[in-house]
Formats: sequence, structure tokens, C-alpha cells
Amino acid sequence: MTNALDYKIDFRPDFSLLTINLQPGQKVHAEPSAMASMSPTLTMKAALKGGAMKSLGRMFGGESMVVNTFTASKGPGEVVFAPGHLGDTQHYRLTGGSLILQRGAFMVHGEGVEITGKWQGAKGFFSGEGLVLLKATGTGDVFFNSYGAVIEIDVTDNYVVDTGYIVAFEDTLQYQISTLPGLRGGGIKRLFFSGEGLVCQFSGQGRLWIQTRYVNPFLSWINRFRPTTKNN
Amino acid sequence: MEVTIRNAPSFANLLVNLDPGDRIVAEADAMASMSSGIEMTTRWNGGVFRAIARRIFGGESIFVNEFKSTQSGHIVITQPFPGDMACLELKGNTMFLQPGAYIASEPQVTLGLGWAGIRSFISGEGLFRMKVSGYGRVWFGAYGAIFTRQVEGEYIVDTGHLVAYEPTIGIRVGMAGGIFASFFGGEGLITRVNGQGKIYMQSRSFEGLAAWTNAHL
Amino acid sequence: MKHELLCQPASTAIRFSLEQGDELTCEVGAMIAMTKGITVETTSKSRGGSGGIMKGLKRMFSGENFFLNHFTAQQPNQSLIIGPTMLGDCTHHALSGGAMIVQGSSWVASDSGIQIDTTWQGFSSAFFSGESMFWVKCSGAGNLFLSSYGAIYSVEVDGEYTVDSGHIVAFEDTLQFRIGKAGKSLIGSFFGGEGLVCKFSGRGTLYCQTHNPPSLGKLLGPKLKPR
Repeated sequence: MTNALDYKIDFRPDFSLLTINLQPGQKVHAEPSAMASMSPTLTMKAALKGGAMKSLGRMFGGESMVVNTFTASKGPGEVVFAPGHLGDTQHYRLTGGSLILQRGAFMVHGEGVEITGKWQGAKGFFSGEGLVLLKATGTGDVFFNSYGAVIEIDVTDNYVVDTGYIVAFEDTLQYQISTLPGLRGGGIKRLFFSGEGLVCQFSGQGRLWIQTRYVNPFLSWINRFRPTTKNN
Repeated sequence: MEVTIRNAPSFANLLVNLDPGDRIVAEADAMASMSSGIEMTTRWNGGVFRAIARRIFGGESIFVNEFKSTQSGHIVITQPFPGDMACLELKGNTMFLQPGAYIASEPQVTLGLGWAGIRSFISGEGLFRMKVSGYGRVWFGAYGAIFTRQVEGEYIVDTGHLVAYEPTIGIRVGMAGGIFASFFGGEGLITRVNGQGKIYMQSRSFEGLAAWTNAHL
Repeated sequence: MKHELLCQPASTAIRFSLEQGDELTCEVGAMIAMTKGITVETTSKSRGGSGGIMKGLKRMFSGENFFLNHFTAQQPNQSLIIGPTMLGDCTHHALSGGAMIVQGSSWVASDSGIQIDTTWQGFSSAFFSGESMFWVKCSGAGNLFLSSYGAIYSVEVDGEYTVDSGHIVAFEDTLQFRIGKAGKSLIGSFFGGEGLVCKFSGRGTLYCQTHNPPSLGKLLGPKLKPR
């Protein structure tokens, strides 16, 4: 008896859309604001905490994941999910192992999956870059997003990735952060860049998902279009 | 007049091949490039397009241009954001579009601005929708990929994802209700569509993009 | 050195297969991932040519200074994946002796046969009304990689062709150009853009992009938190 979800991902890799068909009684949990549309036979239970989208947040110290729960309570029905930004959606089936995800990448998970922000070895990972990791464990389905397209890499030995492009990886991989001087025009202090090229060296065997764009240049570019406080 | 939608759904644009005498109507700043011999005249669409027409994302007025050529040539027509485009072939019927979705049309298509009614108020977007009717092709665009649903009864859409709909569909925007309010699309608004007919949606929303961007700032 | 364009046209990345000794020059920040046998060096000058120093030039999109990374494969069978900073497309252009004028944010990578000259001043800055754009002249013989905001399309100009100011990616320097108004009416120049276009003439290859970054910025900006 499987809890596998009946799903479809369309419009990859740029404007991916996840459609899940729920059987009566089935439920999924999603990042607040991910829902694009749903059948009226579904009910949604909102996250207990308020202000979910106020900050992309920092889930430290064992806080539980802020999610909305969709249940097919009045019959079967569909629910359609999408992130706010241009990019891809990837499915991963957990079967007892773990998947490490970049915090902003998580979108939806099915039953049987637990997501935490704190585990042994998570501390101290990527402090300057603002990249926070989550760990998904259990038996069930997870769906995560990328900014830009997602490329799956089968690491069999060694691989080096700029930290801004890491989306998710299986925890059978070992990883180590180091700086690769000069990779990002280092030493210049700016609003969103740390200035140093941080790379992650992966070793061992396992799958890794990287994205083809990095969010920070978009943020630093859009900054000039923001309203200024005196214009309000 | 041969019109091809290229690079959909990511950076969709129209490649319009014009023969002498062909004309196409498009938004003022929609031209990316064009071959020589194409003339562009700006046409203020009279009383139907009012200055208070707002794009779904901002306050720009919509001016339309008419492109025509005395020789054969082409124009590449684009939209201000990444996303999809689709073509509707009108045969005397009507469609409602979110105002920012309109891209181009054949000259015989009537473009109008309608009052969408107080029950379709989408915060910040104004109370208008665009009405296209008559005979001919209309091209509309979206932020995201365009997908459809055939509604039979009721369906719930996060406000901001709805792009176009048949006139047989009723729209009701409201709060998702109670504690749900702040968790839908960052604004607490959902659109309940009801009736029998086709709706067009986009796989992203500008509200979603703004909320995601704001979360990083 | 082989290349492959992936995930076109909005999230395009380029994957290179390098043999020992192969070199590639990229904009800083372009590297996504690579195998371990590649070394990286940073400079503000293009290698193997008389290209100008790029001090003080800022890339339009990310605001970063225009620095370069030189990648060299120290071992056989290496792989390098790069991507531009903006969402959009990439294309490859083989230069064999001529020159391409490239919009500064659209240059992504080139191999050592190409010189990059940042002193080209063919367009006055008024044309682009305040966007701090710069242009680079790429010449020599080798492989050039360009990026765009939007999908890239090429036009073989033979006669005349008109491009809206924000949609030019690169063009062969065999083309002449002049800046003018798009249409008969003045209305277009008051609203929604300057109405300025670039009319190319002559014969040569022109690369255009389907979309224009400031258009998105102007629509999204008002919805964001004030600064």
C-alpha cells in the first residue's frame, strides 16, 4: 500500500506547474502561497503561524515547517501548485533516506514525510550567503523548485558547485564548503553579495540538483525599481 | 497574414509576416524589431479605451498601434514580461481578458473595456476587464505558461492566476475566509469561478513574484 | 572543446567539455559547477589581446564590476557548466577574423582566440536613456558566447532592419546604424518608452532579444517594499 501521489509537472523548465489529483481522504502539505487553483471538493487548513511570507526565513532551532494542508474531504479533486518565480519543479520519492534541500526550494510534500531545519551537521553551513538548508526524511513524495532550470547530476566521485546554485542533494553525499578566490569579484561590499566565491565540493555517490540561475543578481537589479519611501 | 507564436511558454513572442495590405493592431511598446517598409501609426482607440485602463500590474495606459506595410515584411511583437502567448479565433463571440493580457489583434476585432462589477474587485487592479469581440484573431499573453480548465459548476483560483474567461463564467473574488486570509497569494484573495465554460490561467502570478521578491528584500 | 546549450530559452546554461590545456574566459559569476580538474584565475583584462582595462565598467544587470575568470583544464575529460546572470537565452557565434559589437551584459564567454575591447563608443549614452550600458567589441578567430534577456533570434540583414533600443544583443561591425523614431506619430515617444529605435543597414548578422529587462522592472517595482 503506497502513499504515492498522482501528480503531473507541466511547462518545465521555466514555468513549471504541479497538478496533484487527490483521492478522497488524501492530503498534501504546501508552502503557503503555493496554491494556484483547486477543486471545490478540497478543504484547506491554514498554517498555524501567521506571516509566512514575511520573511523567507530562517528556520532554526527545531521550528516546525510552516505549511498549509489540503485534504480531499468532500470527494476526489485536484490542487495545482506553482512558485512565485520563474523556474522548474522536481519530484523526489523518499524511501527511508534523506534529501537535503535549500530552504526556499521546498514547495509541497505528501504524507509520510517530515521536514526539519535542524539536524546534526546542519549548523554552520553557508552562514554568509543566507542559504539555509532543510532535511526531508521518511517515506513519501517531496516537490521542490529551482530558480531557473534544474539539472540533475549523478555524482560518482567529486564535483564542485557554486553555493548559489545548489537546490537539493541526497544525503549519501559528503560536502565541504570552501572559497574559490576570485570567482565572484571578491572584496566588494554590496547589498546582496557576500563578495567571495563560495563553492561546495561534493564527494561520494548520490544525486545532486543544481539550478541554472542565481537569485541575488535579480534582487540587486530589481532594487532600483522599488518605490522610495518619500514617494509613497 | 501569417502569425507564429515563438519561444512559448518561456519568452513567447509573435512573428508576424505581413503582405502588402495586411494590418495588425498591437500595444504601443510591443515592437521588438521589424523589417524595413513597415509603418506604425498610433491609434487612440477612442471612447472605448479609457485613460483609466490599467494594466493588471501597473498604471500604464494602453495605447494601440496599427502596423501595416506596402511591401512584404515582418514584425516581432513581444510583451513586457516573460511568459506564454495564445491565440483566440473569434467568430462573433466574446471573451473577457485581464487588461494586461492583451497583445495584438486583427483590425476587425472590437476592443472594449468593461466594468467587471464590484464582485470581481481584485485589490489594486481596478474594476475593469477587457472585452474582445467580433471576428478575427486576438493574441493574449501571460506571466507564466497558459493552461485551461473546463469549468462545470465551481472552481477556485488564486487571484492573479486568472487570465481570460468566457462570458458564461461568473467571477466572485473574496477572502478565502477567516484565518485562511493571509495565506493565499500573499493577499488573502481567491477567485471563485462558477458556471459552464472555459477559463485560461497562467502558471505564475505577479502577486506571487512580488511576494517572493519581497521575502528576500 | 565542445559546448552544449541546455535549458533554452529562459534558463539557458552552457556545458563545456574540456581536454587538458583547453581554456575559456567567462564573466565573473558565470560558473555554476565544474569537475575538480579545472583551475580558475581572475583578471580585469582579456587574455591574448590588446583589450582595454575594464576598470570601472559596471555590468548593467548585476551592478558588478566587469571582471573575468579564466578557466584552464589541467586534466583530460573535464566539464564546466556556466550560466549568465539574467534569465534568458545563450547562443554561440563563431568569429573568423571579423568583429562583433556586443552589448556588455550579453557577453558571457569566449575562448582565447577572441580579443575583448571595452573602449568601443559607437552609441552615445543618451540612446539608452540612463541605463548604464556599455558595449564590447569582440574580434579575432574563435568561439564567442552571448546571452540575452528573452529568447535570442538572429537576423541576416541585407538592406535595412529596425530594432527597438532595448532589444539589441550584438551585431557584426560591417553593419551601419542610425538612431531614430519608430513611427510617424509622436504619441509613442511620450508614453511607454522613448520610441527610439536603431535602424541597421548594410549586410551582416544581427542578434536580437525578444524581451527587455526594464519593462519587467517597471511593472514589478511598484509592487515591492519601498527602500
